[in-house]
Amino acid sequence: MKTDPLLQQTLKRRALLRAGFGLGLGALGMVPSGFARAAQAAAAQAKADGKVLVILELSGGNDGLNTVVPYGDDAYYRNRPNIGLAKDKLRLIDDHFGFNPGMAGFERLYKDGKMAIVHGCGYDNPSYSHFTSMAYWHTASPNSGDEYGWVGKLADKMAPDAPANFLVNIADRQSLAVRSQYHVPIVFDEPERFMREAFYEEKAALESVAQVGDIENPSRRFLLDIARSANDASSLVREAWENYRSPVDYGITGLDLPKVVALLEADMPTSLYYVAYRNNAFDTHVFQNDLHQRLLTYTSDAVSAFMLDLERIGRADDVVLMIFSEFGRRVPENVSLGTDHGAANVMFVVGKPVKGGHYGEIPSLIHLTEGDNLQYTTDFRRVYQTMMQGWLSQPDTDGILNGSFQGFDMFA
Amino acid sequence: MARFAQKLAALSLVTLAALTNTPGTWAQAAGLDAGRDQLAPVANSEWNYARAAHLLERAGFGGTPEQIEALAAMTPAAAVRSLVYYQYTDNRHLAPFVHSGIHDPGLEPFPPSRPATTELAKATGEALGIKVKPEGNRPLQPVVNKFFYWLRASVLETDRVAYWWAERMVNTNAPLQEKMALFWHGHFAVNESKVRDYRKLLNELTLFHEMGTGSFRDLMVAVAQDPAMLSFLDAGVNVKGAANENFAREIMELFTMGVGNYSEKDIREAARAFTGWNYVDVNFVVNEQEHDDGVKEFLGRSGNFDGVQIIDIIMEQDATAEHIAGKLYRFFVREDLNPALQGQLAAILRDADYEIAPLLEAIFLSQDFYSNASMGTQIKSPVQLAVSTYRKLGLTQVPGVPDFNQATGALGQSLFRLPTVAGWASGRSWITPGLLLERGNFARDVLFPDINFIPPDRFNGSAEIRSVADRIRQGMDITSATQPSVVGAGQVMAESNMLADRDEDFNTRYGSFRGWQMAIERVIPIPRQTAQMNLSAMVMDEHLGNTTQVVDYFIARFMSVAPDLETRAKLIAFLDEDLGTSAIDIAQSYMEDSLRLLLHLVMSQPEYQLS
Repeated sequence: MKTDPLLQQTLKRRALLRAGFGLGLGALGMVPSGFARAAQAAAAQAKADGKVLVILELSGGNDGLNTVVPYGDDAYYRNRPNIGLAKDKLRLIDDHFGFNPGMAGFERLYKDGKMAIVHGCGYDNPSYSHFTSMAYWHTASPNSGDEYGWVGKLADKMAPDAPANFLVNIADRQSLAVRSQYHVPIVFDEPERFMREAFYEEKAALESVAQVGDIENPSRRFLLDIARSANDASSLVREAWENYRSPVDYGITGLDLPKVVALLEADMPTSLYYVAYRNNAFDTHVFQNDLHQRLLTYTSDAVSAFMLDLERIGRADDVVLMIFSEFGRRVPENVSLGTDHGAANVMFVVGKPVKGGHYGEIPSLIHLTEGDNLQYTTDFRRVYQTMMQGWLSQPDTDGILNGSFQGFDMFA
Repeated sequence: MARFAQKLAALSLVTLAALTNTPGTWAQAAGLDAGRDQLAPVANSEWNYARAAHLLERAGFGGTPEQIEALAAMTPAAAVRSLVYYQYTDNRHLAPFVHSGIHDPGLEPFPPSRPATTELAKATGEALGIKVKPEGNRPLQPVVNKFFYWLRASVLETDRVAYWWAERMVNTNAPLQEKMALFWHGHFAVNESKVRDYRKLLNELTLFHEMGTGSFRDLMVAVAQDPAMLSFLDAGVNVKGAANENFAREIMELFTMGVGNYSEKDIREAARAFTGWNYVDVNFVVNEQEHDDGVKEFLGRSGNFDGVQIIDIIMEQDATAEHIAGKLYRFFVREDLNPALQGQLAAILRDADYEIAPLLEAIFLSQDFYSNASMGTQIKSPVQLAVSTYRKLGLTQVPGVPDFNQATGALGQSLFRLPTVAGWASGRSWITPGLLLERGNFARDVLFPDINFIPPDRFNGSAEIRSVADRIRQGMDITSATQPSVVGAGQVMAESNMLADRDEDFNTRYGSFRGWQMAIERVIPIPRQTAQMNLSAMVMDEHLGNTTQVVDYFIARFMSVAPDLETRAKLIAFLDEDLGTSAIDIAQSYMEDSLRLLLHLVMSQPEYQLS
């Protein structure tokens, strides 16, 4: 993405044109012409089945209590005399909660009714290990494990014949969450580096994968499919990224969400995307407030920009974003003005189709579990279930969740 | 020429069939069509080079044509026994692990975290064998330095253990011993970041080397009493009155019976039997006062069981033999296992009192193992890929460039760093489009070493630590030198480093820098020689006369499953063009680079991933 202002303007104009707006009308913020509207409707029709779920992992254990602050509860300030965020600094959303001061984007999304906050998400016998708890969340198997991830299993269920490019994981290595029995998740980090490193002389020999007739060996068939998909996807992804020009400002870090928009805009047939705020970033044990606010600002900027960008390409009705972390943090602050690994936490579901508001029972700040943690009130798999049944209309998901869970009524 | 023709005749039927027949028919030519799911042994008359190559691929990591020919010259029964009963193999050339000497008794017991370390030092005046300074600035600094020293040193030494192990895999005359160690390492998953002690990891690996094909029951007991596993599964918190179920659950769910063969109550009762099991330094201990010696009801039995008795009851369950036999089969043969065959394999295991060797012997000798469904259908794990590449090249030393751990880690398999307690997902999970391209890039890094390579065991990957080092060298005071530098886009510095010098007792960021410095002073560097190969000599030794013969030889030597004819034609065309001739005697003096490019193309084929 370029930052030259002139170029930005040109690109913005082009983007508006692409979204079906007349040049002057768009600039004046007027409604689209009849023709453009029809074009938009046709586009929407074509995408009617094209519902997309994007999952954003906040790794490291985000401190939910300093994200959605329960300022109306004195117990919050008693537990956090030094790092508790004062009411007058917060971005109040009602008479009990306010967002962290760094989260203008989240405040706007919530007030626009596009954000669900799900309280008290967790599971029995919480693990305080990043690694273990994350694996529980990835596999939807708390206190257990699974070879495949829940998003991978969801892909297997939605499309058992495993069409190409159905599942995309933007990461430096594949997340356990997307590990799938049938699908080949497209896993890449930097689109421009998603390529074979080869010498110039070798190119002709490597550029295509031979079409071979019937192959009995299923592993060989699979590898040839992957090789083709690597050849296809790597050029698709690189092209999508080269063509992507957005006037939307994602802030300091886009959390790979611009890449998601680039692929959506390029009409990749992907239904499930998985991205992360990587490297245990949210692990705020020490003097956390400045750092934590900065992390939240980056996240909030990226998420709200993502929603604007989706509007820009006309896909806002098709995409829902779910945000989670492997655990919340201890309710009382520690002596280093930070917080240690905790248990239950808030989750977020964001998008135009979402019925905004609070979901789930708010955990008590007085009756804490052993180790001063929030008692979870919502099995996190209820939120997974909401995504699968409520958003993606998938029945019979017990096998994915290792149990039966009631989703929330979250979509208009 | 004559020699090559002879060789080609001896080479893999898989390869020959693919080169001469239409696609789709090669498989029949290679494997036993009717042998699928049959446990009956393969006949002597059916034994040949291709099947010997398959055996060495699966029971080991593949090898050179000479190694395969040696197996092909035996009867199948003798070939299998030579691999399975490796106790009689001469392996005296393998050197023991050379410790850098990084550990000292003061480090024990190593506290769980930096805060726990400094709390201990504050309370007692000493931690990690280092006393608190009586006065002056940052009296706890030497303690904090020592804490970070051990973290870094143990990571680096673990990487050396992994290198040592890789060296064994490449050079051993008993490849199944290493393959079984790799199997158990995946089965009894642990992670260095939790265990934080290379000695425990090395000791656990030694268990696998020594007990890998012996009694599974004995191995299970040894692992349940192994400090690496006890530390990984938090055995220390499993005490009388407050049993922690984690350990008991993993033993039943992952290590023995598999999910669905026991109740939650069985887990709770078993957890009680394991209470008090713990470790001190690298030794197993039972803390009697923390052990619950009441009566437990477990899997329909009742008694004052301890952990070993619980394991013995688990071994009586049919599910245990089924689970272990099935997992071994999937590791060595293929993913889809016929239920009837699984029952037969489980019976062999039970009848042999859980001795692993007889089961392996039966599997490797079976017609099923040499059937179409099994041959050339396994996707190599990253470690298998790297080791078999080196073995087929005839290397006797694991290259230091590329770094073995970095390379296999980038492909999804880091030794001693299992992703979850469930181990590595295998088979197709090893491959993503990005990772398939990356596998080709690995081959390129072996054949054409990166001249910009930076040794990860010397160079600190953290820009923050490097910046602290620079500022200290410029003569800055510790407070100024450890101020956070500007955080770049998308980067977030580690929480423990943020403004840690608010505490006047010590400075965490300085400790992190100093710990690394102390670690690289002591940990022996990994040798960084590149792969030593001479492909020109290989071609001349085989008397290959033209480019077509070279391509066919490379395909046969390096691949278990040959590519299609169109790809073969492309490879020949490539070599012709790059050499400027198809005649080897003309190109002899300058062909090395072209041969390496050719081999890179061979190793970039999807089929190269197959074993």
